[in-house]
Amino acid sequence: MNKRNHQDTSGGGDYGGLQGNVGKSDSSSMSSGKAKMWEEEQDAGTGVDDELLAVLGYKVKSSEMEDVADKLEQLGMVMDAAPNLFCDTVHYNPSDLYGWVQSMLSELNNPPNTILDPMLQGQQIDDPLLAPAEFSSVPTLGFLNSQQQRQIDTTQSSRIYNDDSEYDLRAIPGSAAYPQTQDRESNRKRLKTSSGSNSAPPLLPSSPQAAGGAAAGTVSDSSRPIVLADSQETGVRLVHTLMACAEAVQQENLKIADALVKQVHLLAASLAGAMKKVATYFAKALARRIYRIYPQDCLDASYSDILQMHFYETCPYLKFAHFTANQAILEAFATASRVHVIDFGLKQGMQWPALIQALALRPGGPPAFRLTGIGPPQPDNKDALQQVGWKLAELAETIGVEFQFRGFVTNSLADIDPSMLDIRPPEEEAVAVNSVFELHPLLARPGAIEKVLLSIKAMKPKIVAVVEQEANHNGPVFMDRFTEALHYYSSLFDSLEGSTLVPPTQDLIMSEAYLGRQICNVVASEGADRVERHETLTQWRTRMGSAGFEPVHLGSNAFRQASMLLALFAGGDGYRVDENDGCLMLGWHTRPLIATSAWQLITTDSS
Amino acid sequence: MLTVGHRPLPSPPHEAMQQKKAEHKTDHQKKPKFFINDHVDILIEILKHLDGPSLCVASCVCRLWCTIARNDSLWEHLCFRHVSSPPQSSVRPVVVALGGYKRLYMVCVRPVLSRLGHSDRVRRRTVWTRDVVQLSLSLFCVDYYERRLGDATASSLMFLCKPVNV
Repeated sequence: MNKRNHQDTSGGGDYGGLQGNVGKSDSSSMSSGKAKMWEEEQDAGTGVDDELLAVLGYKVKSSEMEDVADKLEQLGMVMDAAPNLFCDTVHYNPSDLYGWVQSMLSELNNPPNTILDPMLQGQQIDDPLLAPAEFSSVPTLGFLNSQQQRQIDTTQSSRIYNDDSEYDLRAIPGSAAYPQTQDRESNRKRLKTSSGSNSAPPLLPSSPQAAGGAAAGTVSDSSRPIVLADSQETGVRLVHTLMACAEAVQQENLKIADALVKQVHLLAASLAGAMKKVATYFAKALARRIYRIYPQDCLDASYSDILQMHFYETCPYLKFAHFTANQAILEAFATASRVHVIDFGLKQGMQWPALIQALALRPGGPPAFRLTGIGPPQPDNKDALQQVGWKLAELAETIGVEFQFRGFVTNSLADIDPSMLDIRPPEEEAVAVNSVFELHPLLARPGAIEKVLLSIKAMKPKIVAVVEQEANHNGPVFMDRFTEALHYYSSLFDSLEGSTLVPPTQDLIMSEAYLGRQICNVVASEGADRVERHETLTQWRTRMGSAGFEPVHLGSNAFRQASMLLALFAGGDGYRVDENDGCLMLGWHTRPLIATSAWQLITTDSS
Repeated sequence: MLTVGHRPLPSPPHEAMQQKKAEHKTDHQKKPKFFINDHVDILIEILKHLDGPSLCVASCVCRLWCTIARNDSLWEHLCFRHVSSPPQSSVRPVVVALGGYKRLYMVCVRPVLSRLGHSDRVRRRTVWTRDVVQLSLSLFCVDYYERRLGDATASSLMFLCKPVNV
């Protein structure tokens, strides 16, 4: 099968000066042949046999000791997994430890038809360099052996097997999912049984297509032994490929990343449902990052409003946010005769009808209600805020609540000065500040969040209602952000999938587009462009606490209303409301997704 | 569900007894016919016991019944039927302004109640119904507003629709 005579070649890929030995694959299937060749080569070799092993009767060159040790480790793991696998290899020289370990490994790498093969990644390589055209016709499975590259790097004679193209069609181990930072000089291949940072089952993706020999870039991918089932979950492979791609991007191995992205698209094509959509969005975002197409957010504010409206209608997250925030504000306004709400993101104003109605039915009658809505500039100078204000005024008049509206157009909340907002003293008017998903974009500019929190304090609010995504998408390391985002948006898409009432409606598709834009921003943007800097409730708590706010507990009313709201949604069993130290969190199954919290200024005197 | 024919009339029990008494008293006299339409207050009392769909059916019987069944107070009664304490007086003008109790019931209260009836989470429905009404009112208001926004496809209440089995 695999000739061990490798010719030097520099065709095809970027070996970048490595002493590349990529042999042409043979169709003969003789492990015995190999063993013979090893014998020859060994005799011709220049190494010195290790003494200690020699005493035991094994001839192993000292220079090969590490190699042998690693391979024995691999073999050991394989044998644990599937003890009955070795049948065909004929070993001719058992004292040649290196040789028979190699032959056993190669046999494993070229298995007969079995369902469950423990496959060792070991020494697989493809030979894209020799015939890239061939491989491009092979649907998904070329092989990348970066291992090979590193080995080639060293002065050791390569012990690499070329894999035969026949085997490409089987789901065979490919590149490592989790390239590690390795010490190249030492050429140690650390083999791990786990599949890396995600505690996923030990499956690896197939490697990228050999398209364009992109696989031949130099990376520090590690090899891992994997246990692979033929009927393995494409989904898990997909995840692994995504992670590998992200890792490659983080390490600036753009060729690898590119190939992996294509692989993701292919894998995603064979899936359906939430996983497919998530994978597609993430792959697109990664592609943007690779090609440095930083999306200038040319989509105007009205379009994103429309997307959010559809998101509002499809799933309970925004409704939950509005209802719980309203409840907090309502309770804070229980005794006030004049109230002023400052909404950091007015959009279509969907939050306020319910509050106006609740105020109208307040025991003791409604207060005078003033609303200040803040929003981004619209294209062609449409005054969207004013339109919304009119509609809300109409509603308020219908149900008998005295209402006033003011709109402020600004690109960033940090540009708003409290003096612009006509804040009246607390004795006269109770003030509430409302922010639904509006605080995290401020983290993109240094100093912005602090300025805004100071402004809020200057408004002397009775209550500050904050709703934010419950995830940490603002870590300094790209890989961490990517992993978090993958989990977060997978849950979110899952919940969308679970709550479809009817066959996919336009609403659903728009909601997914809404989320897709967020994904794109988290993954592909950097610096001031990356505005989806979500942080967890704990992080916000710290931030609010150090800014001079103390938490206000959301009461049981809010909890009950929220629970009931969720019970109404088809697929409502998947949604969960949890109370977290006075804050309410809405999640899908075990994963909390958004969190509502309420704050007030730290009261120095007891009140 | 009460099936009511137009003629002959299923007289309520005390009416029937009165009728029989009248019969006994003057059995040689011609029996007076009893028409429920002559006794609107009784009719209203009866209709108050119906559920939503039945009320709608009843409104198809004749013009008088139609007028009566359209009376919002019947629907108001229906909405708050299971609520332990009567709603505040301030509720009515708000609901009427937003479209009336019939609409509130058909659009919000009924789907909410039926959906909650299926949900495992909601136990002891009687305790919850005040919250149900409150929630329904909020959703109703949002729906009204959304229609006013000029969006022809106002669908903030879409999630309350029954899922379609394809």
